[in-house]
Amino acid sequence: MKTATVERPTITEADFEKFREFFYRKTGIQFDISKRYFVDKRLVERIDATRSDNFRNYFIKLRFEADGAEMQQLVNLMTVNETYFFRESYQFDCMVNHMLDELADQRRPGSRIRIWSIPSSTGEEPYSIAIYLLERWKRLDDFEVEILSSDIDTTVLDSARRGVYSARSVANLPRNYLAKYFKQTLDGDWQISRDLVDAVEFSRVNLSEQADTRRFRDIDLIFCRNLLIYFDDLSRRLAAEAMYDALRPGGFVCLGHSESMSRISSLFHVRRFPDAMVYQKPLEDKR
Amino acid sequence: MGLRKATEPQGLRRIEPRDYARDSDGLIEQLKDPDPSIRRWAARDLSAQPQACAALCQHLLHEKDGSVREVVFTTLGCIGGTPVVDGVLPLLRSEDANLRNSAIELLAGLPDAVGPRIDTLLADPDPDVRIFTVNLLGDLKHPNLVRWLAQVLHDDAHVNVVAAALEVIAEVGATDALPAVQLARQRFTGDPFIEFAADLAVQRIEAA
Repeated sequence: MKTATVERPTITEADFEKFREFFYRKTGIQFDISKRYFVDKRLVERIDATRSDNFRNYFIKLRFEADGAEMQQLVNLMTVNETYFFRESYQFDCMVNHMLDELADQRRPGSRIRIWSIPSSTGEEPYSIAIYLLERWKRLDDFEVEILSSDIDTTVLDSARRGVYSARSVANLPRNYLAKYFKQTLDGDWQISRDLVDAVEFSRVNLSEQADTRRFRDIDLIFCRNLLIYFDDLSRRLAAEAMYDALRPGGFVCLGHSESMSRISSLFHVRRFPDAMVYQKPLEDKR
Repeated sequence: MGLRKATEPQGLRRIEPRDYARDSDGLIEQLKDPDPSIRRWAARDLSAQPQACAALCQHLLHEKDGSVREVVFTTLGCIGGTPVVDGVLPLLRSEDANLRNSAIELLAGLPDAVGPRIDTLLADPDPDVRIFTVNLLGDLKHPNLVRWLAQVLHDDAHVNVVAAALEVIAEVGATDALPAVQLARQRFTGDPFIEFAADLAVQRIEAA
């Protein structure tokens, strides 16, 4: 008996080149040749899901679809949305080694410094910031530091407020920090200390929604990592403008390693520190 | 000192009584304020006021502050529609490259409203306007894209407009545009850049 075979879409080298050039231009995310298998696998998955039959049809759909929904699906697939304590910690190093000192030098001792972490996801980032400040910023006692953290998803905000983490999530933490700030639960997870939970103000915010963001003012440092890659162009600009108006003059923004503010907005200056490249609201903007 | 829980109103500022009316007329008036941050906030808030479109487009012609200009473009993108397109199209003739590029970027995000204006733009007597229109096509998600590009390759007499169209068609990679690419190559035989760009376009289209 003859068996019917279904021909699988294939991605040629030319397809891959064309796609990666397009994807880079749209998202700023660059896939090198070592990611070929990863990219091909996801492209084939979307070609099947959209019943496009082949790469050419799918690419046309991707490029021409006015609402960008398929592009969004693909971006979600192509980005690894994983968070854990001390993720991309070079920016936290930059925070305690350079950015906070620069901000502190312009303030009177005792004044307030505000840090906004968005998206909070399940809390790993704002709590990492808190631990870094407590452990690695010598001038913490001279200032009042507030950590605000926001997410559009109320489920993850609830989880952040609970502060219970898997062993995988805390695997990057130095052992002494784990012992100092966490307690192991009976089922092997890790409960963060109440002091840290109480130190962070969580709130629901859609960064591209003005009504949500206009309450945020006088922020000194924003961590907004691996979020803007999920936005369309207009939403990215709205988000950049919201961050600009939330920051004090001279305030900093840290984006994810694959994100570039320069591709979104010309509002910010690029600052290159030994630990990281960040973006800064110009000092001369007086409110 | 140390870590301190943010509590309202210190961390999150309460909405306070306004110095100015935040209605359309009040916000448009604030676009004239000498303080750029007041102009920027006014421009942001006008995104909920489609009737402010003409005032925002007009404001772009003399706004010097880049941060305010950027917000005005974003606000126009939020408002969208034909009035925005018609208000922004004259900026394609601007001598200010930043203003022009921002206009192209904005128009590319409004494919339904800009589509009906493309034929007129491609027939503009100024070749620079036609080149900027082709640049716009490079970012426009519209079903007529290939037809417009083929039309340029087929008819446009200016070598730089055709060169710009070849660059875009090479990326779009539509096989139905191949005859137009070949025709453009023939029309400009002897022009080394057009020959190179046409060959590259054919190569990319056939490889797709």
